[in-house]
Amino acid sequence: MKGQTWRLAVTGVLVILGLIGFWNTLKLWTLSESDKERMEEIKPGSVNELERKAMRLGLDLQGGIHVVLRVEMEKLDEAAKKDAVDRAIQVIRNRVDFTGVTEPIIQKQGNDRIIVDLPGYTDAEQAEDIIGQTAQLEFKLLETYENAQMILSKIDSVVAEIRKTDKEKGESETTAEAEPATGEATPLDLEAEEDDILAELMGEDSGDVVDDMLFDSEENPFTQYLEPYLINDKTNTPWPGYMVAAKDRRAVEKMLEMPQVQRLIPAEAQFAWSTRSVIREAYEVYYLYVLKSKVQFLGKYLERIKLGRGQFQDHTVDFKLSGRASAAFARLTGANVDKPLAIVIDGKVESAPMINSKIRKDGQITMGGGATLEDAKKLSIVLKAGALPAPVEIIEKNVVGPTLGSDSIKKGLISSLIGLTLVLFLIGIYYRVSGVIADVALIFNIFFLLAVMAGLKATLTMPGIAGIILTIGVSLDANILIFERIREELRTGKTVRAAIDAGYSRALLTIIDSHVTTLITAGALFLFGSGPIKGFAVTLFCGVTLSLYTAVVITKTIFDIRKSYKTLSI
Amino acid sequence: MFRIIKETNIDFIGMRRKAFVFSTVLILLGLTAFVMVLLNKANMGIDFAGGTMLQGNFAHEINIGDLREAIASGGFPEASIQELDRTDVGVFNSFMIRVRETTAGDERAVNKLLNIIKERFPDNEFSKDSEHTIGPAVGESLRRSAQWAVIISILGMIVYIWMRFDFRSGVAATIATLHDVLAVLGVFFILNKEITLLVVTALLTLAGYSLTDTVVVYDRIRENLKKFRKKGQFVNTVNNSINEVLSRTIMTSLSTLIVVVVLFFFGGEVVHDFALAMIIGILVGTYSSVFVASPIVVEWEAHRPSRFK
Repeated sequence: MKGQTWRLAVTGVLVILGLIGFWNTLKLWTLSESDKERMEEIKPGSVNELERKAMRLGLDLQGGIHVVLRVEMEKLDEAAKKDAVDRAIQVIRNRVDFTGVTEPIIQKQGNDRIIVDLPGYTDAEQAEDIIGQTAQLEFKLLETYENAQMILSKIDSVVAEIRKTDKEKGESETTAEAEPATGEATPLDLEAEEDDILAELMGEDSGDVVDDMLFDSEENPFTQYLEPYLINDKTNTPWPGYMVAAKDRRAVEKMLEMPQVQRLIPAEAQFAWSTRSVIREAYEVYYLYVLKSKVQFLGKYLERIKLGRGQFQDHTVDFKLSGRASAAFARLTGANVDKPLAIVIDGKVESAPMINSKIRKDGQITMGGGATLEDAKKLSIVLKAGALPAPVEIIEKNVVGPTLGSDSIKKGLISSLIGLTLVLFLIGIYYRVSGVIADVALIFNIFFLLAVMAGLKATLTMPGIAGIILTIGVSLDANILIFERIREELRTGKTVRAAIDAGYSRALLTIIDSHVTTLITAGALFLFGSGPIKGFAVTLFCGVTLSLYTAVVITKTIFDIRKSYKTLSI
Repeated sequence: MFRIIKETNIDFIGMRRKAFVFSTVLILLGLTAFVMVLLNKANMGIDFAGGTMLQGNFAHEINIGDLREAIASGGFPEASIQELDRTDVGVFNSFMIRVRETTAGDERAVNKLLNIIKERFPDNEFSKDSEHTIGPAVGESLRRSAQWAVIISILGMIVYIWMRFDFRSGVAATIATLHDVLAVLGVFFILNKEITLLVVTALLTLAGYSLTDTVVVYDRIRENLKKFRKKGQFVNTVNNSINEVLSRTIMTSLSTLIVVVVLFFFGGEVVHDFALAMIIGILVGTYSSVFVASPIVVEWEAHRPSRFK
């Protein structure tokens, strides 16, 4: 009898603990939408607070974005490699905090990977920009127009030369392969043919003549796509900023990638594209700049970054400088008044505004044409949080819309309830009163399982729900084993009391055996599983472990309430 | 007492030859599927192979053939397109598109797919519910961790069985368990179902489940062998043991089967294949604990007697 009191006491304590662990979750789940609104009215933020205390829902159930990043370590030197991932995590954490996502999960995986979970956030594009952008901000000066033109004309002649030799090698195959540029510029093909004839007629010396023809693809294969646009109205000086039609961008890029062309570009100069395309006179164009490679100023010195408006009401990101950075920036801007300063982010030119006067403390990053308020916001966020120590590559991305999540919850709930009801009936009918006792134990099992999960702050996922449902089926096994054993013992003519006791003691070892095998699987899945699979492993592990207690101890306690039985409904 | 099964006395062991033939077919099928998985020729899910999944719904009705043709001619000839039934939650014309690519040219495959749909069906707006992109590197590491999970759990189970029982039972139980896992894998291969992470999870779970069934039978055999230490009674004892635990086997399988069948019909897309694997696994596992695990021990005993000297 002493054992009985103990068991009752332990069960009572567990129920209370379970209720405490489960309380907030239960409260949240039973609240209707209008209840939540009322709560918000009385105390703003209280629903959020409750959600934080309740059981966590996986991204697959509440919607959100899961991203796995790989830090491109190979681009770092040994010293920088050491804490690159940790620094990247810090930067990403800061960036995510600025977006206002609640309860993000940002953690390291393996040596070079970072997992970012943004629950409830579904703007995939923006998330990718905010998380994945290196955000290395550099200020660079532009090459002089004359220098740039010289490089351009050299590229023209080299590309033309390559084309010519290719053509001689074989008309059909090489043109298709090595000259996609001319292939795309179809309207110019006719002219090209004319020039061929022209060149033949005039012999070698015809070079000068065709040089003057502006849209000659044969002699100007590169510059035919470029149209200068950047000019300082005050001083009337042109700068090497060109418009390239969006459809021609790929052709220009291909030519710039040619090794022969790469060799022509001096080390102190570089080509850089604009971040976005803009619409100019009904055409979508990109800007291509020729910059001086030297980094004049780094973005990491920027302070107090905020959104602003420029002189034409365009979007800007304003910043302040102090101390030595301010002096350096003043020197740079003072020496280059009336010249454009390229604002380069991750190798792309955001804009290249003219320096009107020396800037000491208050700077302004002019957003390029086509930039929206969102773009300015994103830029200010990544600048505030700082640059990543190395570029990152998004290697996995999972976006679950909120409706899909709630849909999954509904389906999980429905199938749990139907499954539970059917099984409760089956056992209740088959084993009569004893079956009902097992049913009670099963309900205890599920209650404890949810309580433990809520208490451990485990994350409930859709596979996790499947784990709970599976627990419903598997945990009854212990009771079935016991009951079948009791039936056998009764058939051998034992008294009810003796049969019950024998049934429990004889089945126990088998029950433990059968549970251990399931626990081994759940353990292995927990160790090696990712996200949702881990959720499955956790629910299955907890559910099966708890069923050892509920199916054996709780049912035995109920049987032991009566000391002696004449008959047993089993 | 309400009993589905009265005291039975079925000669399960006598049926072992037929069962062995059937099981051999299952195992061969499973092994073929397994080799295909190793050779990367099986229908692996995007979580292992890498790729892109896009799910969403159209504003108006759409012919799946038209959609398939549009996606194929748009540059994804091997795309798999599936119509989802989400009418119960008020979502119609819902589709899931899966491709092996993560990028297409300069853009991400998801955007390319969305563009194709937008271009081809300008009057039928497609709203995205979810997208999932898994790079090949992630697929590789998921594959590796799945392999480890399989190896560790199967080793763990074998070690446990060998500790609790003798060597022969351990071997037989292991064969029976592998038999079930391979059978489900084989059926999935024939149905051309995708092998996803969740399906592997199901395989491991049912491995544990099937082993449980086998353990219960072995426990009873061991107990009965202690009781009746009579020479030449081995086959009878095994048969009796199976018969004695038969009602338990059926009741447990039934209650587990009920919940996974419910999950199959009402659980939605995510756990659909998981539930299917469990259903097949429970059926095969029940069969194997009766017709495979114990008969192996009997055969072994017949050829090399050990217990009754």
